[in-house]
Amino acid sequence: MGWIYQAENLQHRYGTQTVLQLDHLSIERHKIVGLMGPNGSGKSTLLRLLAFVESPSRGRIAYFPADGRQSSEAARLQVTLMGQEPYLLKRTVLANVVYGLKVRGESENLEKRAAEALQWVGLPPRAFLKRRWFELSGGEAQRVALAARLVLRPKVLLLDEPTASVDMESAQRIREAALRAQRQWGTTVVVSSHDRHWLFEVCDAMLHLFKGRLVGSGAENILLGPWRRRTDDLWAKLLEDGQELVLPGAPGPDAIALIAPDQLQLNLAPEGAPSPVAPLDVPCRVAGTLLRLTLERASGRILATVAVGRSLFTAKIPCGGSHRERFYPGQRVTITFPTENVQWLV
Amino acid sequence: MNYLIEGFVKALHLLLTGHPETFSAIETTLQVTSYSMAASLVLGIPGGFLLGYHEFRGKRAVRTLVDTCLALPTVLIGLLVYAFISRRGPLGTWGLLFTPVAIACGQTILALPIVVALVATAIEGLDRQLRISLLSLGARGHQVLMTSIWEARHGVVAAALTAYGRVLTEVGISMMVGGNIKWHTRTMTTAIALETGKGEFAMGVALGLVLLAIAFVVNVSLAFLKRRT
Repeated sequence: MGWIYQAENLQHRYGTQTVLQLDHLSIERHKIVGLMGPNGSGKSTLLRLLAFVESPSRGRIAYFPADGRQSSEAARLQVTLMGQEPYLLKRTVLANVVYGLKVRGESENLEKRAAEALQWVGLPPRAFLKRRWFELSGGEAQRVALAARLVLRPKVLLLDEPTASVDMESAQRIREAALRAQRQWGTTVVVSSHDRHWLFEVCDAMLHLFKGRLVGSGAENILLGPWRRRTDDLWAKLLEDGQELVLPGAPGPDAIALIAPDQLQLNLAPEGAPSPVAPLDVPCRVAGTLLRLTLERASGRILATVAVGRSLFTAKIPCGGSHRERFYPGQRVTITFPTENVQWLV
Repeated sequence: MNYLIEGFVKALHLLLTGHPETFSAIETTLQVTSYSMAASLVLGIPGGFLLGYHEFRGKRAVRTLVDTCLALPTVLIGLLVYAFISRRGPLGTWGLLFTPVAIACGQTILALPIVVALVATAIEGLDRQLRISLLSLGARGHQVLMTSIWEARHGVVAAALTAYGRVLTEVGISMMVGGNIKWHTRTMTTAIALETGKGEFAMGVALGLVLLAIAFVVNVSLAFLKRRT
């Protein structure tokens, strides 16, 4: 297998603002890698760097083609990126889909190959090949853009929130086509999405970005401030439903707490009111409603999403069957975690 | 007003009978404007692309300079070209003064800033995603350039039309560096100026009609092409 990308001390700035700062990054060949994180966390920037359409301000991304011969030419021809709102050329669907083939100097069976690519994304070629760019809906345009990438049979397919602004059918087609590329040709797929459940289901590995930094490999819980310093030197955060999280060691009122999902323990809530207790040496506990259970493909574990007010917590449920059978969405549950394992970001 | 109507009737007669002097001016005009437009488009489209597409130090100053050149008076261009190609000028030995090439050179200076500025504006107006899409589909420098210009084709055509309108109707350059020599460098505009001064309205009106007709045909052809693409 091996790595297809590796980078050390990667930094990217726009003007004076640092938007991405990664100490180390490795992406394995033939895998599906998910990028998650809130808006502005650096996902799109990282994808543009991986696509070599921008160069990092510091550091270098090494791309390792299957034949072992590193070259910028190989990277340019083997890697392709589809942005969140991809640009369609002001031409027909056929011209759009075969553009990448033409710039590679290919001229054989262009229409046949375009038709095949359109079928992958669920667009009937007869109805679409001759259509012009303005005769497509948003979802169709997105699928045409994906077909223009798939027709190249890329070694790396980078997808920046491919389903963010499309209808459900288009989203499903786009997801299927991306997964099929990975299965059929061994394409390495790096996909960013806000649909974390889909990412957990399909990805072999996850990268969790926050404020331009890698904070973990997936479902880390991020608790933003403000934190209020109490008289006993602990820091409290008031949740939307009135519960209070009390943690030690916050570096300041605007600090960000990071809690790994396997640190959270899930229990059925006892009858009566929740009791948000958090002395220094006692695990912190909040109560909420279990929203969803998702299989994390990479680990084979179940991820439970719990709503506490408007905040969402993600906990990993241990693999044992008895644990899984106890929980179902809609239940009142408590989340408990040891306060000493909370990481703080400034 | 009768003389104007008579002039109009005579103009039709001159055009329909193929009056040699009138057609010589038309031919010279078409010849010099073709040269100047070819030169200004060949230089101006890549120049406009570079100015609109790339970020570089001093870009704002270059843009201001180009925009200022949009208002260059034709007589000033005529004066500058004259100074360069007259016997005492640095290019005096080339023998260009009072030739169609001299007019074409001046008109190129007139049209170039128009093409550069309007093409740059058209390129700047393109979606930022275009560049990322093209690069991520494997396009290289010249392929990005050609595709971007094609995507901005309506703006590029508008730039060419505006420039053509300016070179077709200018008098100052043609008069100063062309010398308005009959059968040689007399263009439609210099002929109109001359004939009007002599009180010969017919030829002036005839050439004016042809100027309008050329502008009309060019615009209609480009509008047709625009619809097709």
